Amino acid sequence: MNDPYQVLGVPESATDEEVKRAYRELARKYHPDNYHDNPLADLAQEKMKEINAAYEEINKRRSGGGGRAGGPGSSYAGGWQQSYGSGGSSVLQQVRAAIQVGDLARAEALLNNTQDHGAEWNFLKGAVCYRRGWMDEALRYYQTACQMEPNNPEYRRALNLMQGGAAYRPGGEPFGTLCTGNPCLTLCCAYTLCNGGYCCFI
Amino acid sequence: MFGYVRPPLDLPEEERKRFGRAYCGLCHALGERYGTAARFILNYDFTFLAILLSEREEGPVHHGRCAAHPVHGRDRLESTEALALAADESVILAYWQARDGVEDHDWLHGLKYRGASAVLERAYRKAAALRPDFDEGARLQLKLLAELEREGCSSMDRAADAFAGLLQRAAQAVDEPVRRRVLEQLLYHLGRWVYLVDAADDLKKDAASGNYNPVALRYGLAEGVWTEESCRSFAATLDHSIHMMATAFELWDFGVWTPILQTTLYAGLFRVGKAVLDGTFRSRENKRETQERST
Repeated sequence: MNDPYQVLGVPESATDEEVKRAYRELARKYHPDNYHDNPLADLAQEKMKEINAAYEEINKRRSGGGGRAGGPGSSYAGGWQQSYGSGGSSVLQQVRAAIQVGDLARAEALLNNTQDHGAEWNFLKGAVCYRRGWMDEALRYYQTACQMEPNNPEYRRALNLMQGGAAYRPGGEPFGTLCTGNPCLTLCCAYTLCNGGYCCFI
Repeated sequence: MFGYVRPPLDLPEEERKRFGRAYCGLCHALGERYGTAARFILNYDFTFLAILLSEREEGPVHHGRCAAHPVHGRDRLESTEALALAADESVILAYWQARDGVEDHDWLHGLKYRGASAVLERAYRKAAALRPDFDEGARLQLKLLAELEREGCSSMDRAADAFAGLLQRAAQAVDEPVRRRVLEQLLYHLGRWVYLVDAADDLKKDAASGNYNPVALRYGLAEGVWTEESCRSFAATLDHSIHMMATAFELWDFGVWTPILQTTLYAGLFRVGKAVLDGTFRSRENKRETQERST
């Protein structure tokens, strides 16, 4: 295991409070909600495990090798269950299995061969689009799924997370193009003399 | 590409200088490999690409004069594998975009594209021989994009996908599998964001000329004017791509480049997007284009 202090990015001399703050910031960054349906979710999950282990190790060392002192050591560990295991018809179950293993082409082919475009179909279509990076269409399929079945928690969660519920930004600032202050004054134009920073024929 | 990806100026001095060294390093790599004429394709987006492909440490710095800085000179990065790769890929991209411009315009309006592609012809042949896979991919993706544009494809995701897929291929030469996955996702969404922002920036121009514009088609915008709701929805889709870039970025250690990349991804892109939506991003350029049209 790597040096737990290095993992959390704090010096060994850090106070308990500083360790906790560093841990919370990292846990927010790699939180499963921040990587929901993300094709790189497996890498984030690894990170999260490493951070949890480092935090628990530091707590163990600081409490003299005994139990944990002062912290919810693995409070985020349980969140990583993006299971696509439940579901209705067997074709849609196959779609979920294909998404689970990252075979988007198969998932898409199965969906396109399905006649019944119900709520779950729209939800899964959205999940495939999201993983492909087709974010506009993903959002629209999720919206349709939620309109068709407003009380389904799985569809609702996907839609809510996409509508900006959990996006991480350092320091807890709001995340979004329209949340930004005056843009004109602060863009980097320092190098415009070397050819304007613009491609001259575009 | 188009010069939309730029770090915010409120970066610490040290980081701005580092960005400058990468910018001048890429300019020099272009000149060294392809002759002075190739330097004119340099822009911020290609610098960002070079930084993404760079190793964690900065490498040796050289101080030298150039045509743009004949008196005091500038510090620049010595040529590295990443700068060479970014230079080669930049030439290939710029060439195919210029060719695309030739096909899309009549003889008179295609002149500047024809000029650009003629200047780049020799450079392109060399770059394509060095990076045959990237060249093949760029050609395929841009052909696909041109077809979608001709059809008047109303799915902006599909149109953006063709350009995003092209940029994603810039990472295929990376050996380390985790790094490659991270870069592929980051570059895909960078490409998507650049394509969509560029389309938004061209809304009025395309409305006037009748050219294809995926954003106008998606939202049914008359005269290229945003409605409040469509503007909000479009900003959200840009944010989704920025979110995917940021989440990818956090999964790899970019070493000394981390502060530049972090502020660009978490602040710079938002500001450019907002300026484009406000119509303030290219006021200087737009003025020039308007003058060109009226003459």
